[in-house]
Amino acid sequence: MLEINIADLLRGDSSQWEIFFISRLPRLLAILCTGIGMSVAGLIMQQLCMNKFVSPTTGATISSAQFGILLALVFMPVSTIWSRAIFSVVCAVLGTWVFVWFIQRIPFKDPVMVPLVGIMFGNVIGGITSYIAYKYEMTQAISSWLTGSFSTIIRGRYEIVWLTLPLVVFAFLFANHFNIVGLGKDFSKNLGVNYNVTLFLGLTITAMITASVVVVVGSISYIGLIVPNLIAMFKGDKIRGTLIDTALFGALFVLVCDMIGRIVITPYELPIELIAGVVGSLIFIAMLIYRLNYGRRAIRIKSKRKSMEGSVA
Amino acid sequence: MKYLFALHQNSRKKVMILLLLSMIFILLYMTIGVRFDHPQLLAYAMRQRSTKVIVMIIVAFAIGAASLVFQSIINNTIVTPCLLGMNSLYSLVHTAVAFFLGTGSVFLRNSNVAFLVDLLIMGVAATFIYSYIFKKTKFNVLYVLLIGTVLTSFFSSIQNTLVRSMDPNEYDTLLTTLVASFSNINEKIILFAVVFMIGVMFALRKELAVLDVITLGKAQAINLGIDYDHTIRKLLLGVVILISIATALVGPISFLGLIVANLSRQLFWTYRHQELILGSTLIGVLVLIAGQLIVEQVYSYAIPISVFITVGGGLYFLYLLLTQGRRK
Amino acid sequence: MRVKKLTKSYDGKNVVNGVDFEIPKGKVLSLIGPNGAGKSTVMGMISRLIASDTGVVEFQGKNIQQWKSRELSKRLAILTQSNNIQMKLTVRELVNFGRFPYSGSHLTEEDEVIVEKAIAYMELTQMQNQFIDELSGGQRQRAYIAMVIAQDTEYVLLDEPTNNLDIYHSTKMMQIVRRLCDELGKTVILVLHEINYAAFYSDYICAFVNGKIAKFGTVEEVMTKENLSQIYNVDFEIMKIEGKPLSIYY
Repeated sequence: MLEINIADLLRGDSSQWEIFFISRLPRLLAILCTGIGMSVAGLIMQQLCMNKFVSPTTGATISSAQFGILLALVFMPVSTIWSRAIFSVVCAVLGTWVFVWFIQRIPFKDPVMVPLVGIMFGNVIGGITSYIAYKYEMTQAISSWLTGSFSTIIRGRYEIVWLTLPLVVFAFLFANHFNIVGLGKDFSKNLGVNYNVTLFLGLTITAMITASVVVVVGSISYIGLIVPNLIAMFKGDKIRGTLIDTALFGALFVLVCDMIGRIVITPYELPIELIAGVVGSLIFIAMLIYRLNYGRRAIRIKSKRKSMEGSVA
Repeated sequence: MKYLFALHQNSRKKVMILLLLSMIFILLYMTIGVRFDHPQLLAYAMRQRSTKVIVMIIVAFAIGAASLVFQSIINNTIVTPCLLGMNSLYSLVHTAVAFFLGTGSVFLRNSNVAFLVDLLIMGVAATFIYSYIFKKTKFNVLYVLLIGTVLTSFFSSIQNTLVRSMDPNEYDTLLTTLVASFSNINEKIILFAVVFMIGVMFALRKELAVLDVITLGKAQAINLGIDYDHTIRKLLLGVVILISIATALVGPISFLGLIVANLSRQLFWTYRHQELILGSTLIGVLVLIAGQLIVEQVYSYAIPISVFITVGGGLYFLYLLLTQGRRK
Repeated sequence: MRVKKLTKSYDGKNVVNGVDFEIPKGKVLSLIGPNGAGKSTVMGMISRLIASDTGVVEFQGKNIQQWKSRELSKRLAILTQSNNIQMKLTVRELVNFGRFPYSGSHLTEEDEVIVEKAIAYMELTQMQNQFIDELSGGQRQRAYIAMVIAQDTEYVLLDEPTNNLDIYHSTKMMQIVRRLCDELGKTVILVLHEINYAAFYSDYICAFVNGKIAKFGTVEEVMTKENLSQIYNVDFEIMKIEGKPLSIYY
């Protein structure tokens, strides 16, 4: 990481500006896109599956995306980032579809079973990935996609992650549809929303967002899980109302995690996945215990508005 | 033998068949590719392989029993204690020892000491962490499981962080000990593990005897006069210790428990734990030896056994889920 | 058996608030009331499944929480609503468990006789080797009752025994409850939703509203137009059938 300082930048030092545009700005943009993308992906998935514990991590999306990257590496040794992205997107979409198809076949007594199944699902795909990786001696190569990190982001190699923004906008337009689908098949039929099409559309968007992040940054767990849950604790469950908050908070969360990662063992830096893993899992456990003891009660900030929304939640 | 005749009639036959199969597998494993014409090599191979077989039996018993007890406690047959995150806790403990003491220290170079240190730290840490979580969630086991899976990534994130700030040479030394393996385990450790395990089983004999009643669920167990919370706490502690032993012995193996416990349940079709545990041990031996044969003979050690067990176990889990869902 | 000033709250909400009554021996007592009135919680505290916040349940002169669980299980049996077993268990094996408080897992010949009788009493002899999870709801409930009979306790507590049963099986279940009391001399306490079952088959009724006892007394005393209207907040008519007061609500 090369040093830059604001005074030099203001003075118009061209080499400093070059570093800024080649490395710092792309990194910042990647961080923002990742935060926005992953948290929105988690939000949509939770809404579609009617389960607050589902996310790209606990829904096999990330592991499928990694599997896709490995396939690209094995079958097209000279693959560009774009071909890896295509493989990854296809696998992520398929993996997510299969997972959701699967959990809809099983009557779950407890919502907590769904993420457990998702994690098992992810483990199976991860196991197959590591089998192939061992077989073709690719364990080293795949490991950089297993641990997400922003340290390799430079201009020209990260632009795929921009894909998340149009997808998020698209998701925003369909937010109400996702909400209705989340309430069930009969419910959506009653309101004239095509259940299957909307479900597949939503899952595809989620998988595409996730895959484009995984290809560029690597896997980042928990953001899709905890950010939407934290926001929902304060603002309720209506997607339209919370999508922007979720996106902004997600971006902020990743940014803070990245800064922590760069401070802890300076002059080296820790990958974002590790920081997000530690911070995210602690927050998630605290959230679980809170939910267990206090139920789905929202934390009230403005009591007047909440009492109105109470009936919705 | 006497124990065998105390079993239910239906089960006795099945146990005998499993026993016979295990014998055949063990024999096969002991003799494949051995040079009988060379007495010195033969003796060496026998010694090597018999230790491995003994370790496999210990691991099969520890993991099978722990999984069955765990499943019965939480009244759910498709989960396994490996979801609690103990495998990554082991990796973390092992890495932390190497990180803070250096791979050159006696704690890692002497495998006896390393085993004891791993077992001690892991046992204490696991007991502490999981009893805290169980208390916090008021023994809601599904939540404990979810937290366990989260802890998995928590532990491995910290472990990864340590690894990244480590000397690369030290890391290479460490890596070989982090993959599950049945090789290079000496007799002293085996003896210790066996003694320790017998001690645990003895300390829990009362609780194990009421396992069948625990199966009926909390309300029924209390109705039948069992001090439920106390019993559950002791049994969970036993589960944690048994898994710690197995993991400290051979390294992390996920899903083995899921496979053997459920196969045993499907085969014996009973609630009696005596038979289930015996069955799961034998099935565990079969699975491990089969896996080890594939690893050694087909892939010549290129792929670790845990990869096969993870994939096989995971697929079996999904199959169980689907068939269970359909039955209802 | 006496209940003294029981209270219990969840999340700061008082579910049971100062409940105080005596359980008449050798009779059938029904706990009724609207949803969330606290009847199941009271039942849980009587059966030691739930610990009370304050107040005590006195059983044979001694606080129920101070009884040895094993000793209590020879005197008091509880059957809750949620009995889903995932394990493979036959009817016979389930009823065997009823003898656990006496002999543990190794049954004596005497135990076998008692189990045999309990199964016969519930007319389950034919299906005693079937697995529990293959039975219909009514049969399963009978199997559990057989276990409770084998447990041979003076007191039997049943939490909504007619839940999820159709009219035929519910009525059969209530007849069994009556026989437990009349023929086997047990004290039966049950939580019921259907007030007419309570009126027809029990001796005493205890009605709860908002965690408090609204009415306690014999069936005749409680089953009046005024009382029921007050408890359930709808209009009632009472008529007599076979000398027993039954209600119609609309």
